[in-house]
Amino acid sequence: MSASPPLVTVRNLSKKFCTHLRSSLWYGLRDIVAEALPGRLRQPHRLRRAEFWSLQDVSFELRRGEALAIIGDNGAGKSTLLKLLNGLIKPDAGTIRILGRVGALIELGVGLDPLLSGRENIFLRASLLGVSQGQVAPLLPAIIDFTGLGSAIEMPVQFYSSGMVSRLAYAVAAHLHPDVLLVDEVLAVGDFDFQRKCIHHMMSYLAGGGSIILVSHQPHHIQSVCQRGLVLEKGQLAFSGTAVEALDYYFGQQLALGSPADAAPAAEALNELKPVVIEEVRMTGAGTGLCPGAAATIQLTYHALRSVQQVSWGFYLYTNDGQVCIGGAFHPTPTRISEGQHVLRCQLARLPLTAGNYLLRAAIFDCNSLQPLALFGWENAPGRLQVEAATSLEKNSHKLLNQLTILDVEWNH
Amino acid sequence: MKETIYSSRASLHAPRAFLRQVREDARVVYHISGQLFVRNLKVQVRQSLLGYAWMLLPPLAVALVWVLLGRARVLNIESGPVPYPVFVLAGVFLWQGFVEALNCPLQQLSASKATLAKVRVPHEAFVAAGMGVVGFNCLVRLLVLLGAMLWAGVPFTSALALVPLGLAALLGLGLALGWLVALLGLLYADIPNALAVGLNLWFLVTPVVYVLPAQYGRLLSLNPVTPLLTTTRSWLLAGTVAPGPGFWLVAALTGLALGTNWLAYRLAQPHLIARF
Repeated sequence: MSASPPLVTVRNLSKKFCTHLRSSLWYGLRDIVAEALPGRLRQPHRLRRAEFWSLQDVSFELRRGEALAIIGDNGAGKSTLLKLLNGLIKPDAGTIRILGRVGALIELGVGLDPLLSGRENIFLRASLLGVSQGQVAPLLPAIIDFTGLGSAIEMPVQFYSSGMVSRLAYAVAAHLHPDVLLVDEVLAVGDFDFQRKCIHHMMSYLAGGGSIILVSHQPHHIQSVCQRGLVLEKGQLAFSGTAVEALDYYFGQQLALGSPADAAPAAEALNELKPVVIEEVRMTGAGTGLCPGAAATIQLTYHALRSVQQVSWGFYLYTNDGQVCIGGAFHPTPTRISEGQHVLRCQLARLPLTAGNYLLRAAIFDCNSLQPLALFGWENAPGRLQVEAATSLEKNSHKLLNQLTILDVEWNH
Repeated sequence: MKETIYSSRASLHAPRAFLRQVREDARVVYHISGQLFVRNLKVQVRQSLLGYAWMLLPPLAVALVWVLLGRARVLNIESGPVPYPVFVLAGVFLWQGFVEALNCPLQQLSASKATLAKVRVPHEAFVAAGMGVVGFNCLVRLLVLLGAMLWAGVPFTSALALVPLGLAALLGLGLALGWLVALLGLLYADIPNALAVGLNLWFLVTPVVYVLPAQYGRLLSLNPVTPLLTTTRSWLLAGTVAPGPGFWLVAALTGLALGTNWLAYRLAQPHLIARF
């Protein structure tokens, strides 16, 4: 696969925009004149007044069968990149080389006419994507089936919900089989069933030799579909690696921005309404660091204004994006916390996590009401874990499968 | 496998590649504009009780007004052997065709901005679909005019066969100017505002409702619409086969301007989308 030439080659791509409307229009006029007079007027490498780089010096490749995630905050340059790849706008520097036909799923609702029925809009949408009525007609039953709209397909699109519009538009694009598919955050409005259907479609499209560039803020979409990921920060390429690594990097950056270092010191927050605060939660390994399958100790430091009876404490391990709780445990027996600063400890005989970055959250709660007395990692930043393992086939397979935990299994045969 | 390269270089640095891209897009325009044309017709009637009757009603109303004004002798203007109401009706219908063609690119592209900013689709498809509606409207008006000619006793001559040529030249001139108007009008709102005023003045200096006067004839002939409109009208009503002075020159320049302005819009396209 790696021997085949890349379907998309992006080299030192840059695009600038202007923050001032009237200047932007004037620059537009100048740029148009410069198009007709090659070598005159236009200086694409220099910023003019009120201009900024929306994308700067970005390079990457995409090969057949690969899916690449573009990750970044709003305004990082993701949509600009997709517009450039789709040939809608022109680079100010650098080049894009594309082999084959490009299809784009960007804002699914555009191009649909609200007064026409879903069925009529299938032909209209397909024609906008360059496919004639004759070519669409044989695909019509499959497209309608994919939408899952049933009899609503005969209804005017103005009565559709945004999810139904997405279903219709995605179904048309999904059946046209371009060589490279650009997808921009289009699954967010669909229900779970439709999202699953789309992910399944993307996987089979990739298996069939298609390539995808996916812009999404949904980590599970990225992890399900993409092997590689790029992180854009203020128009520049901040990170390039596997999709999981890119997500790790992105969420790491996000957490750094809102880290508890910025939060008020826990001791200061201690008062009658909040008689207990958790100051720190740490997980440490037996040797140099945390390793999969090795012993680990969790240490919770709390500060209490007074002693409290009938409490318990627990810890919870989360994925690095903070979205999914992988596992956790709480002390089964009610205990008592004492006034002042103290430490609670527990041991894990075998750390069940694979190599990667994780978050650690903890809680002290009242055993009778099950209401938390103190939380760590929800309203403030959680503890960070870095589980490390030597490079091995096993470690790679964990990454490839997005496997997070290792089960302690006794094999009989 | 098709190779596409996007770079910052001016499109005219590689004119062959630019023209190849234009040709490839032009190939799919037919399919897309066909769908859009059908969409436009369907949408026009779907939310209306009178439906397709709206295509016939406006020109019929215009015809009726001029016929009544003619009967009442409110306007007493020299129009040769042709009854004045029919003369005016022909002029107004031809002028309307020119104005609609001129407005078509800006109207169609402005209305489709959201789609054009997100979907890679030839802009010409939207303009072609709009021109389809303009052509369709011209056809309906022509039928109303033929009815009025029949009613007024204006004879049908063999010169009628040349009317499509004159009409094509008139619509072509409108479209050629329309591409330029769209290029500038999509950037600056001054253009559509100025156009509305300019077209009213232009109507007054074009012999639409009057015969070209001898005194200012040479001056008014500098107006490029004049030879196209007067010639087409004389093919319609007077049966004179020979075109008026300047017709072929303006028709040829129209062809040239149409190609040039269309390509100028193509060059401007990515810069316009960046500002949608």
